[in-house]
Amino acid sequence: MALAQDRILTGTITSKEDNDPLPGVNVLLKGTSTGTISDGQGRFRLSVPSSANGALRLVFSYVGLAQQEIEVGNQSEIKVVMANDLLQLNEVVVTALGVEREKKALGYSVQEVQGSQLVQARETNLVNSLSGKIAGVTVVGSPSGVGGSSRITIRGDKSLNLGNNQPLFVVDGVPISNDFNGNTGRGMTSADYGNGAAVVNPDDIETISVLKGANAAALYGARANNGVILITTKSGKGTKGIGVSVNTNVTFDSPLRLPNYQNVYGQGLNGEFGFADGNGGGLRDGVDEAWGPRMDGQAIAQFSSPTSNGLRGGDIGDPRAGAAQRQADLTTRGSITPTPFLNYADNVRDFFQLGQTYNNNVAVSGGNEFGDFRVSYTNLDQRGIVPNTDLKRNTLAFSGGYKLSKKLQVRTAINYIKGNSGNRPSVQYGTENIMYLFNCWLPRSIDLAAHKDYWQAGREGTQQFGWNYNYHDNPYFQLYENTNSQTYDRMFGNLLVRYEFTDWLSLQVRAGTDLNNERRTRKRAFSTQRFPFGTYRVEDLTFEERNTDFLLNLNKSLGDDWVINANLGGNLMRQRRSDLDVSAPQLLIPGIYNFSNTRVELQTDEFRSERRINSLYGSAQIAYRNSIFLDLTARNDWSSTLPVGNNSYFYPSASLSAVVSDMIELPQVISFAKLRAGVAQVGNDTGPFQLSQPYFNGAPFGTDRTFSESGQLANPTLKPEISTSIELGTDLRFFNGRVGLDFAYYNITSRNQILAIPLTNTSGYTSRVLNAGKIKNWGYEATLNLKPIVNETGFNWDVDINFSANRSKVVELADGIGNFVMASRYVNIEARVDQRMGSMYGIGYERVTDESSPFFGQVINDTRGRPIANPNRILLGNYNPDWLAGVYNTFRYKGLLVGFLFDIRYGGVMYSHTQTVGREGGMISETLEGRANGYDLTQPGNGVVAPGVIRNADGSFRPNEVRLSAREWHSAITNGRRILEDMTYNATFAKLREFKIGYTISNKALGRLPFRDVNLSIVGRNVALWTAVPHVDPETSTVSGDQIVPGVEDVAIPSTRSIGFNLSFRF
Amino acid sequence: MKNLKIFSFLLVLLVSIGCTRQFEEINTNPNVPLVVPPNLLLPGMIRDACNDVESTTWGISNLAMQYNAKIQFVNEDRYLWGEQNTIWNGMYTRLRDVNNLINTARAGNQRRYEAVGLILKSWMFSLLTDSYGDVPYSEATKAKTDGINFPKYDPQEQIYAGILADLARANELIVQGNEALNGDILFTGNAARWQRLANSLRLRYLLRISDRRNVAADMQAIVGNPAQNPLFISNADNAALNYLPAFPNQFPRHTSRVGSFDEIRSSETMVNTLLRLNDSRLTVFSRPTSATHGTATPVYVGVPNGLNDVDALRFNGGSNFISRIGTLYFEEAITPRGIQVARGVIMTFAELQFILAEARQRNLISTGEARTYYENGIRASFEFYGLPVMPTYLTQESVAFNPANVLEQIGTQKWISLYYQGMEPWFDWRRTNIPRLVPGRDNLNQNRIPVRFIYPTSEQGLNADNRNTAVTRQDPDNINTRVWWDVR
Repeated sequence: MALAQDRILTGTITSKEDNDPLPGVNVLLKGTSTGTISDGQGRFRLSVPSSANGALRLVFSYVGLAQQEIEVGNQSEIKVVMANDLLQLNEVVVTALGVEREKKALGYSVQEVQGSQLVQARETNLVNSLSGKIAGVTVVGSPSGVGGSSRITIRGDKSLNLGNNQPLFVVDGVPISNDFNGNTGRGMTSADYGNGAAVVNPDDIETISVLKGANAAALYGARANNGVILITTKSGKGTKGIGVSVNTNVTFDSPLRLPNYQNVYGQGLNGEFGFADGNGGGLRDGVDEAWGPRMDGQAIAQFSSPTSNGLRGGDIGDPRAGAAQRQADLTTRGSITPTPFLNYADNVRDFFQLGQTYNNNVAVSGGNEFGDFRVSYTNLDQRGIVPNTDLKRNTLAFSGGYKLSKKLQVRTAINYIKGNSGNRPSVQYGTENIMYLFNCWLPRSIDLAAHKDYWQAGREGTQQFGWNYNYHDNPYFQLYENTNSQTYDRMFGNLLVRYEFTDWLSLQVRAGTDLNNERRTRKRAFSTQRFPFGTYRVEDLTFEERNTDFLLNLNKSLGDDWVINANLGGNLMRQRRSDLDVSAPQLLIPGIYNFSNTRVELQTDEFRSERRINSLYGSAQIAYRNSIFLDLTARNDWSSTLPVGNNSYFYPSASLSAVVSDMIELPQVISFAKLRAGVAQVGNDTGPFQLSQPYFNGAPFGTDRTFSESGQLANPTLKPEISTSIELGTDLRFFNGRVGLDFAYYNITSRNQILAIPLTNTSGYTSRVLNAGKIKNWGYEATLNLKPIVNETGFNWDVDINFSANRSKVVELADGIGNFVMASRYVNIEARVDQRMGSMYGIGYERVTDESSPFFGQVINDTRGRPIANPNRILLGNYNPDWLAGVYNTFRYKGLLVGFLFDIRYGGVMYSHTQTVGREGGMISETLEGRANGYDLTQPGNGVVAPGVIRNADGSFRPNEVRLSAREWHSAITNGRRILEDMTYNATFAKLREFKIGYTISNKALGRLPFRDVNLSIVGRNVALWTAVPHVDPETSTVSGDQIVPGVEDVAIPSTRSIGFNLSFRF
Repeated sequence: MKNLKIFSFLLVLLVSIGCTRQFEEINTNPNVPLVVPPNLLLPGMIRDACNDVESTTWGISNLAMQYNAKIQFVNEDRYLWGEQNTIWNGMYTRLRDVNNLINTARAGNQRRYEAVGLILKSWMFSLLTDSYGDVPYSEATKAKTDGINFPKYDPQEQIYAGILADLARANELIVQGNEALNGDILFTGNAARWQRLANSLRLRYLLRISDRRNVAADMQAIVGNPAQNPLFISNADNAALNYLPAFPNQFPRHTSRVGSFDEIRSSETMVNTLLRLNDSRLTVFSRPTSATHGTATPVYVGVPNGLNDVDALRFNGGSNFISRIGTLYFEEAITPRGIQVARGVIMTFAELQFILAEARQRNLISTGEARTYYENGIRASFEFYGLPVMPTYLTQESVAFNPANVLEQIGTQKWISLYYQGMEPWFDWRRTNIPRLVPGRDNLNQNRIPVRFIYPTSEQGLNADNRNTAVTRQDPDNINTRVWWDVR
């Protein structure tokens, strides 16, 4: 309310770039706290005391635009044109505990991604969106076609616990879970149900701030050891009146890459094939490999061929039935009329369907001088590339704030996500994964389309139909009957009360929660290879984390030169988990998925745990002349999971930032220069119940219950983990901001890690929990921003480059332990003293080690000409890339924007199980070697002589001349999946990770239409891949049990290329 | 006033942060027990150990002993064994609970349970040492109780001394105890049968080391005093786990994929031997070829061991013309007859008879007649399968007791009787070289049948020094290095 003596200033603010009005600009009367914000039309209205006539100055500021000061004089209508700020010195970023700070004041590395960068070319799993956009961040996905899990690490692996290397996710100041719950067992292969942070909705994200190191994250304590992904959700702050925004996005997904199969030879062995019962009853028809006849269209009896009784060749009854029944069933089927033996070269490509993802968001926001709100609803509806897989997610977000009085305000932000999937595809090598067939065991003569009618005639619901009854399930049967479904209700949010005692002292109290209730249901139908009587399993997973914290903030100028900002806070963290896992191991009546329909006793596992961490922390930032900044933090945690006496731990951090360009005269080209340095320590606890030694119950034997002691030896004297890090960095801007370089070096030492160190099982136990290990990480990160072409009203070109290189080394393990197997899936991911983290070990070839031998280094074959395995595991390579780079180019001209992101990973090694087994099955193109003219070894081009030598009886060597059949060679090369040396590849790749071509219609052109900011874009994700790795996308990991294992391709479902459209507008 | 409220709230928060009194309670595992009585430990270890033995028998020792042969994925049949860790991992895991059972029983003065624990311990360690040679024994399974994280490998000779001492001790303890043996899924709580098993095993292990040590006195001491050292009296005493008809406790092979089961077929060696002897046990071990099944002239055809992939699958025209393994070990394993045949065998009466026959023939014992033991063994084996012994069977030339050739005869009959009854035939063959087995044509082991498993390669990292000491003592860590008792 304007008082009588006030005068009213009004004005409009427009953008220099496109002349459009600028809403949300801060307008401040200099030297006071009087101010306002421009409305949707860029207009503002401010009453100022009429007394202070002459000296009135208004300060206009807006993130990304150059700040302006205007002398008011006696103007009453003020027009301001704001231009982009190339230097962006007043850029504000969100730091620990949600404190917004000027970037230049920070003594550590923080990098931000704006929400707007996530919504157009979007990912179902939020984590994937960060790939290539942040220096030092590595994302590895486990493709499943519908938002599979992703593993994200910042500055490399620091913990020997492979699953413990991911950063903490914090939404609006409150941690949320990024747990990966990959529980399997009970005869099932893993289904990838996604990681916890995958569900955060990009439409509701204002910014993502990545706190990379311990200095940045120290205030988050133990769990921030691996950095923090700080997500701030959108609010209605800064809006005047009511505004509605709409974003709609449609993308179409297809496999990015399929293996290069051989399309010459079909099913069978040694050129022979004829189907009788798919069970060995015909000519090699039990064989599921592609060493059969040429696919020349010759007439051969096949599973899909018609029979004399009008059925199909594969309608043979139960392959396990007794001999008499089998005979009767085959008679009923009749004799098979042979059909052409054809090459179904596109059968796999055609099996995948066009994936479709629809994402619609509508958000209403509003505000006035007392409060603001934003309500947003998002619907994601995804159909996977794998038939009958899908994902649906409805997200409701509310954020609001209100000033109850001048001093007291409340804010809340709540996100509710209801998700479900009718079926998530099974992953991993095994019968439940369709890629197990496609990459290894589905000869090209098999007509996949003939599998769509997947029950045998007259045996609907009890016996599947297929091409091979010895080992395999019909893939359509697998996907339509054997589903892994999921429903969840996830809620995270917080309520905050802030009281400002004075303009320099405030207190904030906040309560936040993250709640997940999830149900996973798995069904397996009768006649499934692994479950002849089917099975039914339900997992109920409940997770809750509550955080209650307070923060007392003091922000005071001490004279002209000194500003001090101090915080004192405390936090109570309580985490509860309750999991129930029940299955009916076999069903009584087919098709009834209910526990009352069990044939045998139900199998039940139940787990409950609770964990608390209480913390006190404080921080102080001392700024001198706005050019030297000293940050100090300290935190003490008390953890319930550590033994009494060891459960309290303290850790400090300090960092210093100096804006050199403000202190000394620098050459003209340097517009800004800052140096920063920091040192920090972070502690960590462990999971619940690590201190006592339990017995687990197993499946009963009849009425006898069984128990066995845990193989993991508990340790009642654990200490907290400690990691210490040093970070040095600089932020340089040249040519008035046209070139910006941010460089960071870090060095982290993690020690006393709480590990389950493996024991030889001869000790009676397989591992013991103890404090062990010392890991050193060091590396560089650089971000380079270039503005080669800047033209406020014309053509602009921006280049953002992120580069990073990280090395982690194992300095120490436990006493007497030289290696530690962190994960094992075909290869071992092992930590060995003095070696890099992420090294993969496996069996290699026996080689000539005598340096004087002319055959030095060659592979030694046995006398039958097959490579010999050296029983000592050798280093196969390291899954960590040597360096990563992301290159983002943006071109803007008026309303047109073209952007594309290249993501490059150089170096690193991956193991491909597709290669190992695809060879064995004769599936992949490599297996044409040795059968140029069929299988007769007397014909030229047939058979393979393994490279290398054979050891003579006297110990000398002779060149190998033994010719193996193609089939024998392609499994001898791995010594029967044992020698993996030749199955690993340099995983270097480049991807066109993202592109956008968008046009924003000028608001002026929209005239009186109610729409504003109308943008239409064509978008793509993972559009192109360049790599030397054969058959598969090198950017893949496997899910194994409770872990995401990097570096191993395990017949993965192909990653997807997505191309689509995005439309957004406001009104 | 307002400020006061805020500060008191803050105070409460601060106080609760400092409060860690409930922590211990929170961190107490509510899901599982920390102490478990013997009757709840016993069933799991018996079942799981039997399953481990079955798995290795099916995949490895049945092939090595040429009962069965592979027609697909033929690596193991060509002696490309790689690591065979099931026995290692399985037994040491079970021994953790065996150890717990023994310690709990001792603490509670439950002598029968202690005896049962010692018997199982002895059996498991014999499986380990017979498979791998020197293994951790005296220091094994002591990480929790003694803090031994790197157990030394003991020479096999000392392991056998320990096994025999434990079994002798079990024989004494079992009569001292009087508690009910609950959870005994092997003998349903019949302590006398445990005692007979203990003494029968003592004879097996004494015979095992009989080429290294003079075991005559020890064997005779057992055989000569049946009151103190009772032995199996009949098939009713067999130590053989009866699997259940219901999942998940069926004979493990019953739940195989049909293709995996059919990769393994009857071996030519086994089929031809039994055909030559006109031995009706062939109808249990094998089945007529699919091509001749149900015809007037069903035929049994075994496939030679150790053929390469292509030749194995094409042998005799293909899998339709090669005998599959008997129905009782697969689809009919859950029938009443299957449950009697497809069992988790630890030791049978028949085996004991063949042990006594050999011992008597070699004059290691003086009680009884070799011929009687030998014929009793044959009869017991037929009886095990529910088959009658045709009188002509025992009188035919190659079976009729012939002192000139009797060790060969005993060994052959023992080999037949041990079909698919665990790894014992492989251990026994390595000691006796009976029957004479010729390595398969395309074998990848320089024409040698493997006589040992290599140590798990994980030992190279987890217990390297002790492993290396054992390897130095024992010769290279490969499948051709003989264990201590294997001298023939």
